Amino acid sequence: MKTKSTLAFKDHFNISEEELRKILNTALLKGGDFSEIFLEYKTFNFINMEEDIIKETAESISLGMGIRVLAGDRTGYGYTNDLSFFKMKKAAITASSIAQNNQLNTSNVLKFRSQAQNYYPVKKPAHNEDLKKKIELVKKVYLSAQNTDSAIKKVKVSYMDQIQYITVINSDGLVTSDVRPLVKCTCLAIAEKSNIREAGFSGGGGRVGLEYFQSQLSPETIGEDAAQEALHLLKASPSPAGEMPVVLAPGHSGVLIHEAVGHLLEADFIRKKTSIFWDKLGKNVASPQVNIYDDPTIPYFRGSYNMDDEGTAPKKTALIQQGKLSGMLQDRLSATLMKKPLTGHGRRQDFTCIPIPRMSNTYIDKGSEDPEDIIKSVEKGFYAHKYQGGQVEDSGKFTFSVSSGFLIEKGKLTRPVKQATLIGTNIDILNKIEMVGFDLKFGLQTGTCGKEGQAAPVCDGCPTLKISAMTVGGQK
Amino acid sequence: MKSRKDSSRFQTLAENLVAFGQKNGADEIEISVYEGSEFSVDIRLGKVENLVEAGSNGLSFRVIKDQKTAFAASSDLTEKTLHRLVKNAIERAELANPDEFAGLPELKEIESDESSMKLYDPDILSLESRKKIDLALETERIALQDDRITNSHGSSFESREVQTILANSKGFSQGYKETFFSLGVGLQGGDTDEKVEDYWGSSARFFSELESPEETARKAVDRTLRQLNPKKIKTQNIPVIFEPKMTSWLLGFLFSCISGTSVYQKTSFLSDKLGKKIGNEKISVVDDGLLPGKLGTHPFDAEGIPTQKTRVIDKGVLKNFLCNTYAARKLKLKTTGNAEGNSVGPNNFYLEPGRITPQEIITSLDRGLILTRTIGHGLNPVTGDISRGAFGLWVENGEIVHPVSEITISGNLGTVLNTVEEIGNDLEFRSAVAGPTIKIAEMTIAGT
Repeated sequence: MKTKSTLAFKDHFNISEEELRKILNTALLKGGDFSEIFLEYKTFNFINMEEDIIKETAESISLGMGIRVLAGDRTGYGYTNDLSFFKMKKAAITASSIAQNNQLNTSNVLKFRSQAQNYYPVKKPAHNEDLKKKIELVKKVYLSAQNTDSAIKKVKVSYMDQIQYITVINSDGLVTSDVRPLVKCTCLAIAEKSNIREAGFSGGGGRVGLEYFQSQLSPETIGEDAAQEALHLLKASPSPAGEMPVVLAPGHSGVLIHEAVGHLLEADFIRKKTSIFWDKLGKNVASPQVNIYDDPTIPYFRGSYNMDDEGTAPKKTALIQQGKLSGMLQDRLSATLMKKPLTGHGRRQDFTCIPIPRMSNTYIDKGSEDPEDIIKSVEKGFYAHKYQGGQVEDSGKFTFSVSSGFLIEKGKLTRPVKQATLIGTNIDILNKIEMVGFDLKFGLQTGTCGKEGQAAPVCDGCPTLKISAMTVGGQK
Repeated sequence: MKSRKDSSRFQTLAENLVAFGQKNGADEIEISVYEGSEFSVDIRLGKVENLVEAGSNGLSFRVIKDQKTAFAASSDLTEKTLHRLVKNAIERAELANPDEFAGLPELKEIESDESSMKLYDPDILSLESRKKIDLALETERIALQDDRITNSHGSSFESREVQTILANSKGFSQGYKETFFSLGVGLQGGDTDEKVEDYWGSSARFFSELESPEETARKAVDRTLRQLNPKKIKTQNIPVIFEPKMTSWLLGFLFSCISGTSVYQKTSFLSDKLGKKIGNEKISVVDDGLLPGKLGTHPFDAEGIPTQKTRVIDKGVLKNFLCNTYAARKLKLKTTGNAEGNSVGPNNFYLEPGRITPQEIITSLDRGLILTRTIGHGLNPVTGDISRGAFGLWVENGEIVHPVSEITISGNLGTVLNTVEEIGNDLEFRSAVAGPTIKIAEMTIAGT
C-alpha cells in the first residue's frame, strides 16, 4: 500500500528509489557488509522573551544525508547537506573506503515498512500553528512568573518547536520513515532580596501539540514553579557536607538512574568492556526492590520515537529486574557484534552523526513504600528535590547536582538548602537503595542527554527513594 | 584550488542575500556563511573503529526592521529556500517588540591581516589520510605498552578546515580560513570493579604544534595510573591546588560571569561590580583575540568588529565586561569584539601567569589537595557557587602521598578570587580559555 507517507523521501528529499539503490551499492563497492542512508529534514522555531519584550524569533532548516558503511566492527561515514546525486555518491565513496576486502555485496530490493505504532499522534504539530499563538503562550508564562512575587526581578522564557522528517534506507532493503514533533517551553526566574540572588527553573513539552499547554501543563504553572523555586532558594542555606542518608524526591531524581545505570548499560560500553557492568549480566547489582526500564514507546514523551535512527522499531527494555542486571540498550553495530537482539536504541543527533546506543525514557519502577514513611525513617539526612543534571564515568563513578533540597531531621523535612553535589559509585549506591516509594513520577519534559558530542532528547523518572548513605558535597 | 573558488562563491551568495533582504524591506541584514570539511578517525585496540570524512556548509542571518529582530539559519542553500527564509524573517520581525538596543554595529576597519594571525596551516591539504590514521594508531599502541593500562577508550585524530564569511547591510564583506588539528587518547587502568580512567590530548591550529604520539601517550598513561588505589578522605576545609586544566575550567565559569549578556540579564553575581575589587592583587585576567596562532584568535567577531586585547581583571579590579554590540549598548559600554553567534564568547581568555613553578607550589603545601579532574554540573553564575564531583591527589609535607576519589569540592567563585595564594608560571594555550597552576587558601571537600 502506498500512502503518502511511504513516499516521504520523495516529498522532502526529491530522490528516486533507483538513485538510492545506486548510492547504497556504491557504498558497498569495497566490500562492506552493510550500507545505510539517513535522510533528514528538520524545521525549528524559536521565541525568546526577556526584559518584558519579545526580543527575537528564529526559524531554521536543516537538510542533509549521512551514509554509513559497516565492515565487521569498522564504520565508515560520510555526510552532505547538498542532496545532489553527485554529492551523495561522493559521500558514499568516502564511506566505502573503510572496507578492504574484495567481496562484492549489493543492496536488496527496497521495500517500504510503515511504523507499527504512532506514539505521538499529534493532530496539529506546533510548527504549523500560528506564531502569534505561540507568542501568547510565552507571554502567559512570563507574566505568571513575574506576578508571583515582587522579589522576582528577572524572567526569561524560551519556546521552541521542531518537526523532524527522517527516512532510513539500508542495503537489507529496508525503507522506513518517521515524523517527530518536539515542543519545549522553559522559564528561568531570578529572585532578589537584600542583595541575595537566586534562580529557579521550570518547563515542559514533549512530542506534543500546543494543546498540551491547556490539558497537561498550563503556562501559568510553568511560570509560577520557576518563580517559587527561586523564592524558595532565597530562604535556603548552604547544604551540609559529608556522608549521610539521602532521600530522592520523585520525578526528576530519575537523573540518578540515567547516570548511574542507563549510560553504563549502553551496549557499546559493554562490548568494549569499559563499563563496570560488562561482565555482570544476570548478576545482582542492586537491592531487590530495584526495577529499571528504558521505554521509547511512552506516548507523547520527549524521549520517545516510532523507530530509532537506524529504522528499528523500539522496545521497552528491562535493564534491572529485582536487583538483577537483565538487559542493555542496543544499536545495530553492537547487537550484530555481540549476537544479541536489537532493542531500538540506535540514536543520532542529526545527519552528520554516526548512530550510537542511547537512552530514551529511563525510569526506576514504583515500589511499595509510602513516601511519607520513607522520610519518617530518616533521623538525620538530606532530601534532594531539584536538579541541574549529572555525569558518569565508565568506572561507575557518578555525580548529580542538586539545585535545591531540604534537611531531614527526626523524620521531617526542615531547613531548605541549596547547591550540593552528590557523588557515588553506581553498584555501591544501587545496593544502598533501601526503600522504593509507590509514587513513580517523571521529571520535566525538557531534558537533553549528551554523549560523544551528540545531544538527544530524553526523559527520566523515579519514585521517592531512600539511599542509606551517600556523600553530599555542600559548603558546611 | 577548490576553497578559493568556493570562497568567492559564498561571498557572492552572502552579498546577494544582503541585497535581497534590503530590497524586500529589511532595515538591516547580516549574513554569515560557514563552510567546513572534517576528517576524523577513531582507533581502538589497534584497529580503525570509525572513519568520517565530509564537507558541509550552512548559512545564518538576522534581519532588523523597525528595531525588531528575527534570526534564521539553513543548511539548504538553494536560492528558493534562502529567499523564502529572508521574506519569512522580515515578516516575522513584525511580531517581536521594538528594542532600541537592537541592530548592527557601525562599520569598522579590520587592521590585523589574516596571514599574520596564523590561523591557517596549508599542510592540511597535503597531509595524507594514512598518516593521520597512523598517528592515532601509534598513540594508542604506545599507551597500551604499559601493562598497568587495562583497557582503552580509543585514540582519535581529527583535522578540520573552516571558512567563515560575513556580509552585512553596513557594507561589511569579509572572510577568513582556519584549520584545527587534534590528537588524543583515553585509557583505563585497574581491575574490573576498581577502574580508573583519564584522557590526554592536544589541539592546535598548526599540525606541527600537536604533541607527538609519544608525549600524548605518556601523559595519558601517567594521568590514568596516578589515580590507582585511591583513598577516601574525611570532610574538611583545606588548601586546594588547581592543575592548569582545572584553572581553565574555573576561568570558563568566570567567563560566564563577566560576559556582557549575563551582566545585563543580571544572571551574574558580578553584574554590579565593574570598577570594584573582586579578587586579590595577584589576579589579572585578559581576553586577547590577536595572539598569533592561538585557538581563540580571529580577525573579527561574529558582527564584523575587529578583535582586540581587553584587560578584564587588573590586579584584582574588575576593569571590563566582554561585550557584543547588543550587550554593550545595554550596559552603555563599548563592544570588545566578543560577539559569537547571537551571544558573547571568549577569544583567548586567560589568567596571567606568576613566577613560581608548579612543583614549588606543591612543595610549599603542608597538607591539602591537588585537584586533577571534576565531573558533573554545579556552577551557578547567579550566586558564584561551585559544587562538583572531584578527583585529586593528597599532599602532605609537600609531597603527593595518595590519590583521592569520591569527593566533592565546593566553594564560591567570589571567595576563590580573593583567596588565590599562588599562581604558577605554567600558562599554556591548550584551549581558548587557559590558566596556569593556582593555589587556593581553602575550599570545602566533602568525603566520608
